[in-house]
Parts: sequence; structure tokens; C-alpha cells
Amino acid sequence: MRPESKRLETWLTIAAAFVLIVLLPALNALPLPEALHVSDFTINLYGKYLCYAILAISVDVLWGYTGLLSLGQALFFSLGGYMMGMYLMRMIGDLGQYHQPIPDFLVFLGWSKLPPFWQPFSSFPFALLMAALLPGVLATVFGFLAFRSRIRGVYFSILTQALTYGACLLFFRNSLLLGGNNGFTDFKFILGQNLRTPGTQRGLYIVTAVTLVAIFMGCRWLSRTKFGLIQQAIRDSENRVLFSGYAAAHYKLFVFVLCSLIASIGGVLYVPQVGIINPSEMGTEKSLEAVVWVAVGGRGTLIGPILGAFGVNALKSWATRAYPDLWLIFLGVLFVLVTVFMPRGLVGIPGQLRGLYQRWNRTSKDPAPVAVAEVEAEKGGL
Amino acid sequence: MSLLPRRLNASLGLWVAVVFAAITLTRLTSFAATAAEPPAAEAVIRKRLALAIVAEEADQKREIRELALTGSKVVREILSAWPKDRILLYTGDGGVRIPALIEDETDADGKSRAARIDTGAFLADASGKTLRFATTDITTAETDAALRTVLQLALDAMALADPLPDARKTAILKLGNSQKPLNIVILQERLPLENDPDVKKAILESIALLQLGDPDPTVLKAAIEQLGRLRSIGSLDLLKRVSAREGLSPEIRRVLAESIHGIDNHINNVNLVGTFFRGLSLGSILLVVALGLAITFGLMGIINMAHGEMIAIGAYTTYVVQNLFGTGFGFSITLPFSFGGKPIAFGLHLPGLNATGSLYESYFLFAIPLSFLMAALAGLVIERLVIRFLYRRPLESLLATWGVSLVMQQLFRMVFGANNVQVGSPTGLVGHFDINDVSFGYNRVFVIGFAVLIVIGTWLLLTRTSLGLLIRAVMQNRDMASCIGVRTNRVNVLTFAFGSGLAGLAGAFLSQIGNVGPSLGQSYIVDSFMTVVVGGVGSIVGTVCAAIGIGTADQILQQTTGSPVTGKIVVLISIILFLQWRPGGLFSIRSRSLD
Amino acid sequence: MKFSPCNLLGTAAAAMIAFGTATAETVKVGILHSLSGTMAISETSLRDTLLFAFDEINAAGGIKADGKTYTIEPVIVDGASNWPLFAEKAKQLLEQDKVAVVFGCWTSVSRKSVLPVFEKDNGLLFYPVQYEGEELSKNIFYTAEAVNQQATPAVDYLLKMGKKKFYLIGTDYVYPQTTNLILYKYLLLHGIPVENIGGGFRKDADGKVISAGKYTPFSHTDYQQIVAEIKQFAASGDACVLNTVNGDSNVPLFKEIAAAGLSAADCPVVSFSLAEDELRALPTKDLVGELGCWTYFMSINTPENKSFIGRWDAWLKTESYPGVVKEKRAVDSPMVLSYDGVYLWKAAVEKAGTIGVDAVRTALESGSISFKGPAGKTTMQANHHTVKNVYIGETKANGQFKILKEFKDVAGEPFILKGLDEKLAAGK
Repeated sequence: MRPESKRLETWLTIAAAFVLIVLLPALNALPLPEALHVSDFTINLYGKYLCYAILAISVDVLWGYTGLLSLGQALFFSLGGYMMGMYLMRMIGDLGQYHQPIPDFLVFLGWSKLPPFWQPFSSFPFALLMAALLPGVLATVFGFLAFRSRIRGVYFSILTQALTYGACLLFFRNSLLLGGNNGFTDFKFILGQNLRTPGTQRGLYIVTAVTLVAIFMGCRWLSRTKFGLIQQAIRDSENRVLFSGYAAAHYKLFVFVLCSLIASIGGVLYVPQVGIINPSEMGTEKSLEAVVWVAVGGRGTLIGPILGAFGVNALKSWATRAYPDLWLIFLGVLFVLVTVFMPRGLVGIPGQLRGLYQRWNRTSKDPAPVAVAEVEAEKGGL
Repeated sequence: MSLLPRRLNASLGLWVAVVFAAITLTRLTSFAATAAEPPAAEAVIRKRLALAIVAEEADQKREIRELALTGSKVVREILSAWPKDRILLYTGDGGVRIPALIEDETDADGKSRAARIDTGAFLADASGKTLRFATTDITTAETDAALRTVLQLALDAMALADPLPDARKTAILKLGNSQKPLNIVILQERLPLENDPDVKKAILESIALLQLGDPDPTVLKAAIEQLGRLRSIGSLDLLKRVSAREGLSPEIRRVLAESIHGIDNHINNVNLVGTFFRGLSLGSILLVVALGLAITFGLMGIINMAHGEMIAIGAYTTYVVQNLFGTGFGFSITLPFSFGGKPIAFGLHLPGLNATGSLYESYFLFAIPLSFLMAALAGLVIERLVIRFLYRRPLESLLATWGVSLVMQQLFRMVFGANNVQVGSPTGLVGHFDINDVSFGYNRVFVIGFAVLIVIGTWLLLTRTSLGLLIRAVMQNRDMASCIGVRTNRVNVLTFAFGSGLAGLAGAFLSQIGNVGPSLGQSYIVDSFMTVVVGGVGSIVGTVCAAIGIGTADQILQQTTGSPVTGKIVVLISIILFLQWRPGGLFSIRSRSLD
Repeated sequence: MKFSPCNLLGTAAAAMIAFGTATAETVKVGILHSLSGTMAISETSLRDTLLFAFDEINAAGGIKADGKTYTIEPVIVDGASNWPLFAEKAKQLLEQDKVAVVFGCWTSVSRKSVLPVFEKDNGLLFYPVQYEGEELSKNIFYTAEAVNQQATPAVDYLLKMGKKKFYLIGTDYVYPQTTNLILYKYLLLHGIPVENIGGGFRKDADGKVISAGKYTPFSHTDYQQIVAEIKQFAASGDACVLNTVNGDSNVPLFKEIAAAGLSAADCPVVSFSLAEDELRALPTKDLVGELGCWTYFMSINTPENKSFIGRWDAWLKTESYPGVVKEKRAVDSPMVLSYDGVYLWKAAVEKAGTIGVDAVRTALESGSISFKGPAGKTTMQANHHTVKNVYIGETKANGQFKILKEFKDVAGEPFILKGLDEKLAAGK
């Protein structure tokens, strides 16, 4: 990369971070005229998109950088969310429907005292610790088994999908004492702050934005280290990496665990902002959706997933209101078009246009048209 | 509660008389003769029936009892149709209410003819034209719970002499469970007349059940032993209740324990065999839904997330064919866009054949090949529009086909509505038969047979035809096949269409077992992929073994854990662990290539 | 972000012309249902009924309040069977569109996910689908059947029929779990011994039953095992099944029941989540005589209901909303309860004289707001649940219910678990 474009990129990152972290919350907090004011609804909505962007980065680091298409990222995202949810449920105290000191769903499942494993979740640090430990341990065990027996490609995707599906079924069970299908809702306080005030929501938004920027910077740094290079080498040809004497399995395991943690952080921030976590969040289609954000934004770049998560979700928010009957068709067609004709996503559009222009110049001299998609297929092939 | 009622119910006494008479009658007329009555007698019976239906409550009940005595086939037909709301009350000239039996068969507009009960002729208007009625806008002869009980009792009594063994059996067991010792006599009367071993067993069982209420210890002991010998599942509750009684002799206690133990064992055996059958049937379903995927994913390497929607196409085709045989099929769609101030809308209406009876029932035979064709056609279109760009990017085919699946689901919703639609089963597929208390549903047996057929068909196609050879060549090495002159494009299209067609067949089937709705495919997609991966990608034999294995494991776990969810979770975890041990699946294809 | 204006308003505009005297204005009303995803199966019909009710009100002159005549402008959003999206859409309706009232939700979880939003923004939600109770929010009005308006009357009826064995089966989520627990206690209270209640139990460490019945996951398709178990359970006679299986899982369940020859005469199944709309997908010919219990059946023989169905059919023929299916429609209890909700809200607005949420709530809580609809008279109580008639019916071959029994004016009561516990304790 040329130095000036690198400098440009740095400046753009700083500018975007400024807009996200400082400008938007400021426009929301200050008493401004209608045209400039950012509503509480928008801030809350963007907060949700930012969490999705964190999830998307975790998918991209695995898929775009390491060549592992995991369909289990929504599971780690939800696990983080559940840990946070448990803390938030404890914080409701006795303000629930039954005015009992334990969560409502436990009351009508006939519990009169808190099950032991719920006890420590009154502590915020403990919940955070668990949000890191649980997905981390699960990813380590699963990853160790999978990478040891060299499960890769499609098999890895389908196995992670099976894992997610199994977990989803498990969490749907009421006997797990995690709220079953209803999950956790009706949160009231976080760290002593009332969750329903705009101020708290703004605070959460800022925390999310800062976290996203930090994760973005962290991943960018990692991708430029030697580690990152080996990671990308694994993506491009795992066997050559193996023959060069690197233990590819260890690298993959590390990335897998790292990404599970990133996804979990996304989930932790997501739950207090949307106000609900339930097992359908870890359904297989949620993981697929995250993959689609990455594909739309452009995989193998770090800005792509963020753009994709924002773009697709904004489109969804708009279309479910404007065309409630047709939005799925729009979305489906978009996925097909992007996959077939834009293998590098939104980020790749300038490059594609440049390519088209050059080819157009050439074909005016040499009439041998080649289908765009096929050429792109060769380039984007994995 | 004492099992011997102190006071005999008056109506019960009447009933005994009725049943006695019915039996005597059958004895006189002998078995097969019940159907054939002299026409004159039938005319009289019909008249009485017609009057009974419109009669006052008290008269009605008395008349029904008397009619039951005749044991006539027409009485049975009318009395059983009555509680099913199939007796039409037609208001004729001068406000006279004429009862008539509505035919089962309906025509194009969902209307059917009705046969007058008093004459047996179809209702007609003044000009002699046969009238047709829609089930929605007619007044039927109402029944209430009390009347239905009377009708049921009348039918039971007649059922003891029914030509169908199953009906006799049900009636007998009902008497056995009545806890009214009076019925013993009726059953004992019937016993020597009965030839069917199954029904004989039911009679013995029922007699013993009733004898459990007998105060005489020897009778009680004999009854308990008898039930134990007969392995009567239905008596288990009652036996357990007997064992809770006070003051039983040790001898009886011993016999009781033996019988209960024997029956428990029998239940375990029944469950064991039943579980294996159910496992086989679930396995066949998995096999049928996964076989198409074994082609598109296993052989071609396309991760076809729209596979479930191909299944749905098959199921919806069955629905449409069914409607075309019936009253026709139509839909209309309004889009949220306007053109020249008017919303854009389009629709379609296909008239139906208005077939009835066995012709209507045969719709399923046409639906099977058509569902294959429709799904194959959809597969062909998708392959040309989307998949052909993605042969070199299998992981991305997952995303594109997922998009396709979203679009298709929404299209189903727009065309067929968001609700599930009704697909009826041909009569041949409803019901079940029992072998030694294990019940085998006809639809389940059909699924197993069908699965065997299509596996054989697929295998023959792949190994015994030149197309199969080409398919295998292209799938093994697309470039090499292309080099030696195989038109890979065409083979790709055909293979994908074939795989999709198989999914369509699966849909035709699932319509007989589960629901047909827009998200039908979603319920099977994860299972299908699991089956193919466990079997070993690219191996049809593997898919067969995996399907049967997963199906059986699922049913066994469901039986042992008592919870369908736990069973499923355990199966998923075992699959994940199994693949650690054999990453390539059950039958992995050996290859020297590294990737 | 800008949202393009909703373009679904052909007919509403036409209705406005007729009333020149009062100031005509529109009031935005939200419709929050899943139009895609798994729940679209059930919820799409409710959207249609709501649009029908709005058109009807607009055509009849709108709503008079605040010295104006309001015409209703529906704002339809798709919750897509996605619960966080439900919360987002609720926020959007209340904060951006500033709707006066929202009609919506089907599943308990969707209601639970929007509840904090409605409480925070002080919105108004009308919830139309039978549910487990054990909830009371000041911002939600439940036109839905509470457990004592559906499940317990059905059990009363079965006990009267002489049934002695009860098998409980449901989908594993909060409504069946709670309902079955209530029914279990209710049955014990009515002298049914524990061994005659089938489906299994789960107990906590102290041996107290915390869950009764057999549970399957959502969209479960394989009911072979369970039906075989029910057959053995019912072998000794006088048994019945209390079915809280949700939505589309009923189709494989009943197809299996039909195939196994478990007839309604021997062992009737009474279903609490199976109405006319769902029956359309079932082989009703083979299932005559199964029971249902709702506060509305399409077959209710009153002039109000006949006229309602007539108007609904006429509306279906003429309407031009996108996505409304015209062919083979049925009406059922959740749809009518949605419809009732709209009229209850209208009556409350006209009584309060304003569309303001607090005033409307006070009016609704006064106990004097009632509506004589297709299902009979519905009155809103101070506890946000309604007083209405309960009907027990049995299925007929044509997919309708034949009404067997009517309980007049049953008052909805959300919290009944605790009362049962106390009675049981007192009995011991």
C-alpha cells in the first residue's frame, strides 16, 4: 500500500470514529433545532447496528482473513448477551410482576428461591467474566476438536451450524432455567442507572462505539503482524502453511477463540440496548445473516463488515416499515446479486468499476467479451 | 367406588335387551346376511328413520333404540352419519322438514347431493333436477352430547355384529371398559359366534376386565390370570387399582403381581418394536429429504440453502394438483406499487376437474410425478440464474441460495397465503394396522416403501445409465470431463434439476405427514445437511445409512429420555463428536488429493 | 434516516370526504405483527382483520374526539418473528410515527419484548391472543383469553363428560408450561389422582411439581412416539388430551392422531391453540369431534356474527391492500379479539373525548367500556382483561366448530396460579 493512501485511511478512520463517538451523541444530547437533532430512537437504533458491526467483524476475521466460515458466531454473540441478561435480570430486584426478589419466570415455574448458579450474577464483573469465559471455553473445546481432526471448509460451516442449532434447542428448554423461549426482558437498571432514560442509552451507545473502534484498531493491528500474515496464508493455502512447518491448527484455534470473544462482547453490549435476549437470537439464520452483512460490505477488509452491518440493517429497518410484504424479496435478491456479481462487496465497487472501465477500453479494440461474473468468480475464488 | 352398582339403571336394562335382540337377530340371519334385507323391510325402516330424526327428544331416543334392534345396514349408515353433521334437514313444500343424507363426495363448488332418508332417492326440485348443497349453508340435524351417547350405544350394539372386525373390536372393548358387569352376559353370548382371533381375544379381555369387579375371589383370580395371559395393556390401570384394594388374599396378590409384571414386559416389548419401526419411518423421511441434497451438495458441492424450498415446491404442487382435481385453484397478488393511480395486481384462476370418489383420490398419483417436475424446473431456473456462477466458490453458494430461499418463502406467502394449506390424504393412506399391539400407520409404511423405491431409482440412474456416468465424471473432475468433450454445462443443469426434483418428491410425501406452509422447508434443512455430512459427502449409501441411523437413534433417545428435545440435542452432540472421529463421514470417498 | 411515507392509504382517504362539518384529521394507529418468518402463519390474518376494522370505522364516519373527526391511518410494520425487531418497531411506532395506539403481537415473547418500550414511552397496546396470564402492565390491554376463559372451562366440561384421565401436551414455551401447571393443579383440586394425569412431571429439589406435561420444541414434526404413548395411556378408556401445542405443529400431531386411529369418541383432544384459521390446514374429515375452547367461533348463530362475516367477505372482495389473501379465508377468535380491541379503543376514545393515552386508559379502566361484537358483549375491566362469553365447540368435517356449550360473561383473571396453590394447601 502506498504511504499516502495509508495516511488517508488513517485520517478517514479517525474522522469516522469522531462522528460515531462524539458527534452523533452530541447531536442527540444538545438541545438543537429539529433539522440537526438526532433522536433518541436513532441513537438507540445505531447502537444496535454497532453491536451488529462488532459481530460482523468477528465473522470477517474468521472468514475473510482465515478462511473459516463459521455459522456459530450468533451463538457466541447470544452467550455474551445471556450473561449480561442474567446480570440485568438480577438488577430488576423485586420490581417485577410478582414483586419477588427472583426473576418473574422463575416465580411462575414454581421456584421460591434463586437457583445456585444464578447467585453470583448480581455482580457486574462476574457477569463480564462469564461473558468472556463461557464462549471462550466453548470455542476452545469445539475449536480444538474440530481443528485437530482437520475439519475445514464446508464441513466446518455445517458443524458450527449443528452446534448452534443444538444450543438453540437447549436454550429453548424452560428447564434450563434461563427463561426458555421468552428469554430475558423488562430490564430496569444497569450499574445503578435507569436503562429507560435517554442518558443511559446514550452512554451505552458511546461505550459501544468506543468498543467497536477499539476492536477495529486491534484487528487491523493484528492483521498486519506476522501472525496476521500467517492467518491470511492459511486462508489462501492451508497445506502450504502446514508444509512450511507452521502448526496451522493452533493459529486457527487462536483466531476462533478470539472471534468468539469479540462476538460475545457484541452480545454484552447488545442486550441492554435492545432490551431482550432469547434463544431465537442464536438461531442458524442469525449467523447466516451476519455472514451476509460481511459479504455485502466486503470480506477480507475490516471496514467492509461495519459498512455491511450498517447498510443491511438500515435497509431492513426501513423496508420492514415501508414494504412489509416485499422486504424479504428485496433482501433475498440483494444477497444473490451481491454474491454473484460483487464478490468483494461494497468496498470492492470502486475496484470493480475501474476494472470494468479498463476492460471496456480494451474490448473496444479487441472484441472478446467475457462475462463479468465469471472473471470475478476466478478472482474471488476460495 | 364399588364396581357392582347397587341399583340398576333402567335404561341400562333396556340396553341389555336391545343388545340381546341384536345378537339373536344376527344369529338368525347369520353374518353376511345383515347387509341383505328384503326391500320392503328396508323401505319401512327408512320411513321410521326419517321420522325419528325429526321427532321430539324423548320419542327420538326410544325410536333409535328400537331401530338399532333391526340391525339393518341402512340404520347403521344413517346413525353413524348423524353425529358427523351429514344429515341435512331440507325444508320442502309447506315447511315440511325432509331429512337427507349428504354425500361424501363434493363437486366443483364444494357442493354435494343428498339422498332422502325415507326413500333413498336424491333430493330434487320440482322439475326433477337433483339439488346440490354447499356444506356451509345448510341446516343439519343437530345432535347434543346426550343424543350422541344414545347414538353411540345404538351403534355399539350394532357394531358387535358388524362385518368389520375392527369395528367389532372397538365396540367390545368399550363394553369391557364400561365397568358394568351386566355386559358380561352380552359378551359371553357373542363369544361362540366370533371367528376372528383378534376379536375373540378382545372379548375374552373385556369379560375379564368386567370380572375384576366380581366379589368372588376365584372369579377375580381367574380374571387376573386371564388378563395377564392376554397381555392386556388396557387393563394395567385397572389391575393396579385392584392391587391397591384392601383385604386381598396373598394368592391373589401373587397372581396380580405376575400379571402386572407380564403386561409391563409386554409393553416394553411393544415399545421396543414400535420404536424401531418409528425410527425406520423417521429415517425414511430424513432419507427422502436428504437424498436430493446428497446430489446437489454431495455430488455437486453446492451448499443449497434453498433445498428446503424445493421440498416446499413439491408439497405445494401436491396442494395445487389436489385443488385442480377438486374445485380449482386461484390466487391474486396486490403489489404496493401503483401504475397510473391503480395498484398493480395480478392473479390466476384455474378451473378444477370437479372429480369425485376414487378419481379425486387418485390425485396423489398425479401429484407425485408433477411435484418432481415442478421442483426440477425450479432447480433448472435457479441453476441457470445463480448457481452456474458459483461452482468455483462453494462457500458463497451458501449465501446466494439463502437469498433465493428468502425470496421463495415470501413468494409462497404471496401466492398461497401465510397460512398452512390443507392437503388431504387419500383414504388408502389414512389408518393403521396392528400386529400384536404394535401399530403401523399406512402413511408410515408408505413412506418407507417410497424411500426404498427412490433410492433404488437414484442408484440405477447414477450407476446404470450413460447420464449417470456423465454426472459422476463431471462431479469428480469438471475440468477433465470438459476436456474430453463432456458438455459440463448441460450435465450441471441436469444434475441440479434432478437433485431438486428429488426434493420435490420429498415434499409430496411430507404433505401426507406434516404441514404444508411457507416455512415448511426450514424445518428440514439442518437435518438434511446433517444426514449428508454424517453419511459422507458424495456417497448415496452413506446418506441411506446415516438417515436410518439418525432416525433410529432419535426415536430411541426420545423413548428413553422421555423428551423429544433432549433426544434431539443428544443426537446433535453425538454427530459433532462422531465427525471428530470420522471427519469424512461414514463412507468417505478416498482420494489422494489434499483439499 | 428518513422513512418514506406509507403508501397504503387508498380507501382511508376516500372515506374522509363525506364529513365536512367537523375538522377532519387522521390519527395514526400502529399494526405490529409478524408478516414474515415463522409466526406469519398466524399473525398475517390479524393484520387483515385490523385493516378491515379501520376501513369500517373510517367509512362509518371515523372517530369523534378532541372536537375533530379522526380517520384512522394504519401504520403497518413487520416484526418478522424477530423479537428484538419487535422492540425496535414498537419504538419506531411510538417515537417516530407517534401512533395513538398499537394493535399487535401474538407470541408472549413478542409482547414481553415490547412491554418495556410501551411502559417507557407510555404507549397503548391491545393484545389479542390467548395467553398464560401472570402479567399486568398499565400500558397493555388484553382482549385475549386468560387461562380461566379458556383452559379451565374446557376442563370443567370434560370432567362433566366423565373423563377420568388427562394427558397434557404442549410446545415448550411459557404459555403451555404455565397453562399446564394451572391445569395440573386444577385437576388435583377436582379430585383427579396424580397417576391419571399423563405426560410426565418435573419436580424441584423439594419434590414440588414445577412442570407438568409432555413438551416438544417449536415446529416439531415427529409425533409418532407421543401418539403411541397417548394410545397406551388411553387404552383403559375415559381419557382425553389437553393440547397446548402451538400453531403449525398441530398439523403433524393431528395427522398422526388420525393415522393412529385415535378417534374423538374414544379419546377427544381439546386444543387451546387451534382455531378455524389453523383448522384449514388439517384433514378435518378424519378429525370430527375434537374439541376446542375459545371466546368466539365462526359458527356462532347470532345476527351480529352473521352480519360481521358478511361484511368481512364483502370487504375481502373489494379491498386492495397488498398482501391480503382473498381466497379461502376463515375468521377465528384471535381475529375477532383484534377486531373487538379496535372498537373498545374507539369507544374509550369517544368517552374520554381525546386520543391521549392517559385519558383513554382511565376510560378503559372505568369498567363501562363495552362492545357488542360478533362474539357477544365484551366489557373491559379495571384489571385490563375483558368479560366475555366462553364457548366450547367440536370440530366438524367442514372445518367449523359446532358449539356444545356456552359460559356466559366469564371475567378474565390474569393471576390464578397463586389462588390454586392456596386452595390446594387448604385442601391438604
